[in-house]
Parts: sequence; structure tokens; C-alpha cells
Amino acid sequence: MLRNNPTLRHIAGRAGWYFLTFLVAVTINFFLPRLGDASPVDVLMARAAGGGTVDQKAQLEKEKQFLKDFGLVELDAKGNVVEDAKGRPVRASLLSQYKSYLFMSLQGDLGTSILQHPKRVGEIISTALPWTLGLQLPTIVFGWIFGNLLGALAAYKRGAFDNVAYPGALLISSIPGFCLGIGLVFVLGIKLDWFPAGGGYDDGLTPAFTAEFLSSAGYYYILPFLSIFLVVLGGQAIGMRSMCIYELGTDYVKYAKLLGIKESKILLYMFRNAMLPQLTGLALALGGMVGGALITEIIFNYPGLGTALLTAIQTYDYPVITGCTLLVTVTVLLANFTVDVLIGFLDPRIRVAQTGSK
Amino acid sequence: MIRFPAVRAATLALLTLGLSDCRPNKSDTSSGFPRNETVYVGGRQWGEPNSFNPLLGWQGWPVNAMNLIYETLFLYNPDSGVMEPLLGESYEVKDDSVEVTLQEKAHFSDGKPVTGYDVKYTFELGKTYKSVPVASFWSYITAVNLPEEGTLPPGKFPRKVVFVLDPKHKNPLVVLDQLQNQRILPKHVIEPLIAQSNNDINTFNNLKFDKDPIGSGPYRLHSFSSEKIATVRDDNYWGNDVFFKGKKAAAKYVVHPIYKGNEHFSVALQQGRLDASSTFVPRIWLKQKKGVHAWFEKEPYFPQSVIPMLIVNVEHKPLDDAQMRRAIAFAINYADIRELAVSGYSEPLQSGMILPFGLESKYFNAEDVKTHGASVYDPERAKATLKAAGYQPVYDEDGKLIETRDAQGKRLPTIFIKSPAGWTDWEQIVKIAVRSMRAAGIDARERFVDASVFWTAQNNGDFDLLMNTPSSEPSPSKPWSRFEFVLNSSDYAPEGEKMFKNFGRFNNPKAKGYEPRIDALLRLIPQLKADEEKAKAYRELNVLYMKLQPTIPLVYRPDQFYQFSDRVWKGFPNSERPFLPPQIPGDRLGTRILWHITPAG
Repeated sequence: MLRNNPTLRHIAGRAGWYFLTFLVAVTINFFLPRLGDASPVDVLMARAAGGGTVDQKAQLEKEKQFLKDFGLVELDAKGNVVEDAKGRPVRASLLSQYKSYLFMSLQGDLGTSILQHPKRVGEIISTALPWTLGLQLPTIVFGWIFGNLLGALAAYKRGAFDNVAYPGALLISSIPGFCLGIGLVFVLGIKLDWFPAGGGYDDGLTPAFTAEFLSSAGYYYILPFLSIFLVVLGGQAIGMRSMCIYELGTDYVKYAKLLGIKESKILLYMFRNAMLPQLTGLALALGGMVGGALITEIIFNYPGLGTALLTAIQTYDYPVITGCTLLVTVTVLLANFTVDVLIGFLDPRIRVAQTGSK
Repeated sequence: MIRFPAVRAATLALLTLGLSDCRPNKSDTSSGFPRNETVYVGGRQWGEPNSFNPLLGWQGWPVNAMNLIYETLFLYNPDSGVMEPLLGESYEVKDDSVEVTLQEKAHFSDGKPVTGYDVKYTFELGKTYKSVPVASFWSYITAVNLPEEGTLPPGKFPRKVVFVLDPKHKNPLVVLDQLQNQRILPKHVIEPLIAQSNNDINTFNNLKFDKDPIGSGPYRLHSFSSEKIATVRDDNYWGNDVFFKGKKAAAKYVVHPIYKGNEHFSVALQQGRLDASSTFVPRIWLKQKKGVHAWFEKEPYFPQSVIPMLIVNVEHKPLDDAQMRRAIAFAINYADIRELAVSGYSEPLQSGMILPFGLESKYFNAEDVKTHGASVYDPERAKATLKAAGYQPVYDEDGKLIETRDAQGKRLPTIFIKSPAGWTDWEQIVKIAVRSMRAAGIDARERFVDASVFWTAQNNGDFDLLMNTPSSEPSPSKPWSRFEFVLNSSDYAPEGEKMFKNFGRFNNPKAKGYEPRIDALLRLIPQLKADEEKAKAYRELNVLYMKLQPTIPLVYRPDQFYQFSDRVWKGFPNSERPFLPPQIPGDRLGTRILWHITPAG
């Protein structure tokens, strides 16, 4: 069947490559954090030490127990920790850890966090992900739609509209997101006190599907939303504007004009062509968004995956790092794959090049 | 909150894309915590709570180091030095034991009494399971006994608990520390759960205790999320009758919001969203007009109790030389550190490791400090000390330090100060120390590393100089435990192997120049009873410390910052009304603040 269907063959080929990329990425995700000098157990011990007098023997015992609990030491047949000549526990080799990681991952088990023990990695991701998606998905989608409309309109209308829209978009998109965020918090949140200076919802509430909670969450949503939305909007508008200006000067547009085709029809042609690179950008942005909007989360004290990942990296919490990066890898690859396939359908030139068919 | 309704309505309508007016209705609190019945505290929980399991050692607020759900036997008052009663009514230090008598009326939130069985069980968990926090304590005791057991009529329970001191390791101070540190757990709840876990502590540690765990404290766990943890008052709290004449705590809820950084706590305090916080709020004097106050209204704002210092790896050249260590101490500009790095929140530094103020001042000897102390900024003496020991700084044509050489003219390795990257106050301190040392002709540089790399380096001895605050909580054993933390060499391990105190490997018993008197004094002091004897021994120890300068003290700090806002609640203790020590509500004795505050109106 594949032999007779070049499109399907093409898709299967791409899928193969993506799977290979996935394997390489997963391997890198696993090994990279574990190559550093630090050990999460040391962080855990430092955190658990607290006040009081510490005793060397008790601490070493405790460390051994932790290393065993988190599968970081070699165990003998009876399940006891293997010790070297000096009585120190022997660390499990990275390869054996990798094997058990792959085995667990294939079963859909992302493991248990070390620093947030006994919390499961899946649990950490599932509480943070809705906030991340809730913040990122609308900002990216709406920013993209309105940005492209604005850009196309500016290119087509030119004149006064363009003279305002273009420099405006340029200004907003060239302000780094975090500056805009801090500015919004400082002016609208702290100085004018119109909006809350941070958080996901009012401190006096607990998450629930009540009108009160939803309206509070909506109110706290505005500033973080704006800080990303405006930047996306500006960037998209600029891109779309220059794409449209280019299309306006192409032969097919001139030819169509000479043929006397209706203006709205020409606009549609033009828009469709100018959209292609923008569409790729959208898919990539959507793929990358699960990584979280770290800076926005920190500035607005907003819940989300970005800070979960940052904390994990800072504390060498291996399972959480690999869990989060696995999620990012999967979504980025999926998004890319979808674009690869979609572009083929949308753009006949690419389809021809990819499949060899006419 | 919003002052321009028209602008607001328009913005909201536009920006939320269809969601109309989103402003929360402040009067409707059906699903929340009414502001005038809730105390918001901050600074003790970073990140989402993972567990409330009392055996973990790194649980979420309010279990870890808090007295809201679980309670200790006693509460140490760092102002008076008194161990105030909580679950324990009284205690007595004897020659070979410490005896505790429990309260008669104390009970857990399920109504069962707190008995000697619970106390014995709690401490003995550390004997059975090596990874629980109380395990270390068993290096100092041999048994926890209930002498009344077997002699009591039915229905009565043992109230006397005897901690038998280990004769080889006799140390009543450590026992007292533990009596005000260990939270007592309900045996009738924990024991069956451990049995269900097949007596495997790792299986037990997976239990989260997140559904109204049973404790004896005044509050119960209400709810939690990644944004906050909430506790609700237990109206049947046993302590209301025993300590407060039947009065209940003022706040129905105590809530800890979880923010992502110090500045969010700082803003929340100023906006009246937070009532008390132990986070670092810079330049607190600017926030007083917004109702944010510290213990004192002027410098140093906070009472001081700990000494951040440079731990010296005495096995690294040239730090193995006491003269080099003293030269470093003379070289550092302590006034700059105090003013520029810690917002002036410190008294001027004195040499030695005994605090010159507060309870420790009775052991402080100004004369000794003047004669032997090197923690005085004196660049000339620093240079003279270096010269006398044969060290020579080498400068380039512009007068910039290139290197330091030893008496044989050999270049000495650059001394690196290791500190966690991003801990801004420590970074400032280190930068000032480096600048001062270089100015005196000592080739030093800063090295900021990831916090996690820092902990590993600390235990392994992988550093020249390292920022650390030894034994950082006020407790009955001060200043002994501070000395013990940096000087005790009985567990000496070479660099590369782990040590959990004395990271600098000072006073290796097998090396040349071992000073046995230091270890002898560390063993002796906890057993001394008379104040005069103690003062004498501390004096001797402090002089040895100053002569050998094993570490470099830098500044004084509070163990926890204490800031409160009087916008919603009034009546917090401060230096003018010091009826309780500077600890935020829920934190040790600070829990009692909750009975003294009243709504601000």
C-alpha cells in the first residue's frame, strides 16, 4: 500500500526520522543532568539537616538509605547496598540507571521526584500543566490571529494606518517580554493598584468551579496574558506585514490585477501564500509552549511548568527534569511532524518536491 | 481596589475577550478565607508542598519546624533562655539523665491523650529507622524510659519520661535541644500505619498525611494547592485551658501563600495581603509607612543570633597556616559588609564565636577579644601579619595584585571563596571579602556555584573558603553547639569523603599540631553546671579559637527575619512589647502570637 501511495510513504518516512530524533533526545535528556558534579541527595540532606546537632554516623546511614530509596546505588542479590573497601556505598552506573529509566518510561511511569519525595513526577506535571496551557495557548493563538490580521491590513492599507501600526508593533515586539512584564506589574499592579501584582487567583480562595473563583482567576489572568500577548502580536504583525508586501510585488498579483480579478480574490491569494511561514511559526510556538513561560511565571508569581522545571534543574532533581523534558520533546516533535505533513497539503510546490509526484 | 471603573470595565471587557467584569466579589467568601479571620504568614514554604508526613524531615509548612499541627515538649525562649512548657510540664537535668513530666490535659485532635507512650514511641523511631530525623539523637542517649509503667492504676497513663544519657557521650545540652525540637507523634496513628507498610520506612514515607493528620497542635490541615497551604483552628485545642484561660486563638485560619520569590512576599506585606513573614525584606525603613515593621524600629531592626562565616579548608595551602587565616581576618572590611551587604541589619562584629549581646554575653570577655581577636578591619595589621609570616604580595606596574608568594618565593595558589550563585546577600559579602583580601595582598577570588553543587562541595571539603552559617537556630546549647559545629574533629574524614560538620577539616587528630584541648573542652562544657565554670571553659575555648582562627566570622544575622504588617491584625510583639520572641505565628513560641493579636478594625 505504501508503495502505491507516495504521500503515505512520505509521512511514514518522516515519522521514522522523528522517532529516531525522539530516541536521541530522550537519551540526551537522561544523561545531561546526571553528568554534573552535584547529587540531589546532598541537596536533600542539606535541606533536611535543619537545627540540632548532627552526628556523622547517623548522617552517613541516612545518606545510604536515601541513595538506596532513589535507586542510585548498586544492590546485591539480597537487596542490600553494595559497599566499597572503605564502607562507602557504590553508586549505580549510569547505564543501569538508564535501563531502568527506559523500562519505566515505556510503562508510562515517569518516576518519583527526589526533592519533592514522595510526589510522583506525573503529579507535578499534571498540576502545573493546566496553568501553563491556560496561559500560553490563548496568548499564542490570539496573538497569532490578531497579529496576522493587523500585519496584512497594514501591508494592504499602507498610509496612516501602517504609519501607526508598524512602528507600534515594532516597539512592542522589541521590548523584551520580561521588561514589559515588570513594567505592567509595577505600573498597573503596584503603583496604580488596578490589577493584582501577582498570583493565579485571590489568596483567600481555593480552586473550585465557582463563579467567584473563576472571576478571580480571570482577573489575575489579565496582566500575565497581556505581557505575552502583546509581544506575540507585535512580532506576528511585523512578519506578516513584510510577507504581504513581498507578495504584493510578485508577478502573480500583478498578472491577476491586469486580468481584472476582484480585489478581494487577489487578497485571498496573497494572504494564503503569505500565511505559510507564519503557520510554521505557529506550530513551533505551540509545540514549545509546554516548556512554560518561565519568566512570566516568575514575574507574575503565576503557577506553571516553567518554575517546576527550573526548580528541578537547580536541585538536580533528575526524575522531574527528565519528565518535563520528555514532555517538551514529545510536543515539539509532534508539532514539527504536524507542520511537515500539513505544509505538504497546503503548499503544492512542497508536496511535489517531497513526493516526486505531479 | 480599582479606581477608574469605566476604564477598568472597558479594559476587562476587551482583554478577557468576552469574559465580562472579572473583578472578584470581595464580600462573597463562601469558598474562601474571610480576611479578618485569617492570618497570612510567609517565608517558610517554597514551592508546592509534597507531603505532610511527620517523619520525612522536609515536609511542607506547617509540619516542618512549626507548632501548628504537631507540638514539641518545650518551647525555647531565645530572649530569656527559658524552656517554656508545651506538651512537657517541667523537666529536670540529672547527672545521668534528663527527666520530663508531661502535661496532664494534653490530647491529640482525635481526643486521645498525649502520654509517655507517645513520647517514647516518637523518639524510639530514630533508634529503629536510621533515615528519620531523630536518628542522630541516639548517639547521645541509650534509652527512653517510662518509670511509672506497670505501677499505674487502669485508665492512668505514664507522665514521667526519662532520657538516659549515654555515659560515653554525655551531653545534656543536646538532649535539651532535642526536647524543644522533636515533635511528638500519636503512637496510635503512626504505629498501625508503619505496620501496614510492612515496617518499611520507605513505604511509610510515601504516605502523604494530607487529609487532616492527627496532631496535638492548635490548628488542623484545611487544604493545600500549589499556591497556598491553609490550616484551620481546632476549637478543642487542649492548650486553650492550660495556657490561655480557655481563650481560643484569634484567627480561625492560618494560611501560608506560596510565592516564587522574596519580592512577592515583600509586595504582599506592603499591600496588607500578608500579615507576617520571615523573608528578607531589603531597606525595611522605607516600608514602615505602609505598616510593615520589624522587631526594632531602627538599626539593626532584628535581634541577632547567628554568625555567617567563611569556613576555611585548613588542609589547603596557604590556609593551613594560622597566621594566614588571621591576616585574612584583619583584612576584611566588616563595616562595608554590614552596611552594603545586609542593609545594616547587624550589630558591629566582635572577634571570637561568642555573641557579645543577649544570653551569650555572660560568657563574652572583652579583654580576651581585644588581646587575641583578629576580626577587626585593620589592613596595616593584615599586611604586617603576612610579612611576619614570610608572605609577599607581587604587584604589577599599575599596582594591581598579581599573586602572593610564600617565604621561599614560590607562588601560592589563588584562594577561592565558594558561595551559592544567586544568594544575593552572600554574594555581596563574598565580593567585599575578596576586595578586602586583595587590597591587603592576598590573592583571593570569588567562585559562585549552583546551590546543589555547593552542598556537595561543602560536605566533601572541596573548597578553600566557603560561606556557611554554622548551627543556625537559637537553642539551649548555644554557644557550645556553634563551637562544636566548626571545631569538632572526632568524625574527621579526609577531603573527598563526607563530613557533616567541621567542613574545614580543622584539628585532624592524626595530624601534626593537633590541639587535644579543643576536643576536651567541647566534651567538658555540656557537662558543666555552674555558670562560673562554664564561663571559664568558654573563655579558654574562645581564646584558642581566636589564636588559631579556624574560621572567619563576617557579620551577625537573625536566625529568621521577623516582619509583620499591622494593617489587618494588631498586637504583634516587638522590642517595645517583647511578650514573645521575634518568631512569626506558627513558628516555635511565635505560635502564641495567635492568642494575642486582634483584628485592626
